[in-house]
Amino acid sequence: MSALRGWGFCRIGLAFLLNCTSLAGAANAPHSTLKPVERRQVNLPIADFSLTDQGGKSFQFKNLRGKVVVVAFAYTTCPDVCPLITAALRQVQGKLTIDERKDSYLLTVTTDPEIDSPKVLTGYAKRYGAELDSWSFLTGSETALRSVWKNFGVGVKRKGRGQVDHTPLTAIVDRHGVLRVAFIGASPDVSVVLDDIRALLAER
Amino acid sequence: MCYVLCSVKRLSVHCGLVLIVLLAGCGRNERMEAVYAQRCLNCHGVSGRGDGPMAASLPVTPPDFRDTVERKSNPQIRRLIADGKGLMPAFEPALSASEINDMLQMVRFLSREGRQISWWEKFDLLVVAHCSIPWEAVLGYDEPSAEKKL
Repeated sequence: MSALRGWGFCRIGLAFLLNCTSLAGAANAPHSTLKPVERRQVNLPIADFSLTDQGGKSFQFKNLRGKVVVVAFAYTTCPDVCPLITAALRQVQGKLTIDERKDSYLLTVTTDPEIDSPKVLTGYAKRYGAELDSWSFLTGSETALRSVWKNFGVGVKRKGRGQVDHTPLTAIVDRHGVLRVAFIGASPDVSVVLDDIRALLAER
Repeated sequence: MCYVLCSVKRLSVHCGLVLIVLLAGCGRNERMEAVYAQRCLNCHGVSGRGDGPMAASLPVTPPDFRDTVERKSNPQIRRLIADGKGLMPAFEPALSASEINDMLQMVRFLSREGRQISWWEKFDLLVVAHCSIPWEAVLGYDEPSAEKKL
């Protein structure tokens, strides 16, 4: 029970920290001010969730158990940090070896379900040259997504149609479904992300 | 006879509206500036020179509108805004046709600042303004002919 309470505090703490440093900052500061990316080591179990992928198929997070998963939060019409996050993830995917790709997976979870339908996500994935054998772009109902955002400690605030302020989080989840590394900021360093993935892949 | 009269009436309304647009001028307005500030300014910069606050962080330098826009037609620019390119988002799912037109006009305005304008470019904004008028709403749809109805 106390352990559970510990996780609860951990989750609240992470959400608080993420929101304080990015969402609130984004709301008050000029929209485009880029802060340096912050890397934090955490230990936060992620509850299973079910969303819809870019092909319109149901996607279960639990099916990725045994793989190291990089989860990024972005929306397709973002004129701010999301393009940088997705571009960084594309580079990460390109630099993983074939063996590493078998044991890892990339996820982009939308923060704007109003716009980001599976069709829109397909176009987005294509524009970035994402290889969909090891990368899925997820959307879903606002309710389903809200619980995922909350799980990862991502704050999301709609400003208008196709305009969303959100925590620019790129998270790495280990083989057991535990969030281990959180990058908060515009464009995580590709080599650091690769190092973290490889370190987690080496864990059994 | 009735059809001819109707067409003449439509044509005169059409010409009148074009004239109004011409007289009113297709000036830069707050709506255009707002949509540009919300969606483009971060990368393309206040004056469209590719020097926005985010530009330095991008893997590619955003284009200077003064160098690139002159060579592109309005449909080409509209398509680019709608479908996106590279890191530039596809705005079609989020913006209405008139917002995309506003964005296009703003891009044209910025592309002209500080450079010699070719004579044909002076008519561009008029064409954009003309195309952004919802003609169906103003003039109504053509009634399908009796043959087609059958």
